[in-house]
Amino acid sequence: MTPPPTADVDPYTVYTGRTTSWAMVASGCVGAVFVVFMGKDSNGSWSDRWFVVALIVVAIGVIVNVVTASSVRATAGPNGLTIHWGLVGWPRSTYHLDEIDDAEVVDLPWWRVSYAFWWTPKRTNCTLRSGPTVRLSLRNQRIVTITVPEPAAAVAALRKASTSRQTDGD
Amino acid sequence: MRWAIDHTSRERLQDQIASCVRRGVVSGELPVGEQLPPAAELGTALSVDRNTVLAAYRQLRDDGVLEFRRGRGARVVSAGPAMSSVIEAARRLIATASEHGLAKADLIRIIKELP
Repeated sequence: MTPPPTADVDPYTVYTGRTTSWAMVASGCVGAVFVVFMGKDSNGSWSDRWFVVALIVVAIGVIVNVVTASSVRATAGPNGLTIHWGLVGWPRSTYHLDEIDDAEVVDLPWWRVSYAFWWTPKRTNCTLRSGPTVRLSLRNQRIVTITVPEPAAAVAALRKASTSRQTDGD
Repeated sequence: MRWAIDHTSRERLQDQIASCVRRGVVSGELPVGEQLPPAAELGTALSVDRNTVLAAYRQLRDDGVLEFRRGRGARVVSAGPAMSSVIEAARRLIATASEHGLAKADLIRIIKELP
């Protein structure tokens, strides 16, 4: 990872931040209620049993999505960048400094926001909103894009930690 | 929220962590209602024991800066009594300056010029 030209480094400068997508929370709740009430017919009784089962499965899926993808916590520092998704902090990932080739702030357009944890062979996206976002280029050529409240501060913490590690190694 | 601690300092780690939170509250990085990271996560990130973070959080709770709620972690509830007195003093300063025809911008300039 490319260090900044500064020398005054505190080895334990850490950035933490949490981003919550209230739109995701609201739409998930509305979706769950809508899906559950679709299972009732006009008389107010439950219709076909398998239809109800399918609706319950969909409702659970919506709730799981809200629980796991409504917010993301990020911690950047000497241990690299760690992300915890959702209300219970799962799924989670850690990208150690050794794995990171470069960290930068990019401007994410709205049509590239994943609104969930997306994984493809070359990219990992953990984005909840458009605008300034942290992008990591890993040494294995993978690109990781993560929403954090203050991406510049997160990148600065990673670069400080990288510089500190290189200084300690000299 | 930026956390900076010095493991070689003679100041206790829990006091340094508490100071980070207080600075964050004053600077606006931690608004009222903001949830702090779980103690275990922050401890790992700062390379300190989880109990050290918890001790800092308890200290801030006792000072009225944080509150703990089951399942919701530690949240900022106020700037704390110490900050309240600073804010009150600032209000009095603004009122005095206003009586003398000075705006907030003038006050800020005067404060910046002070040694």
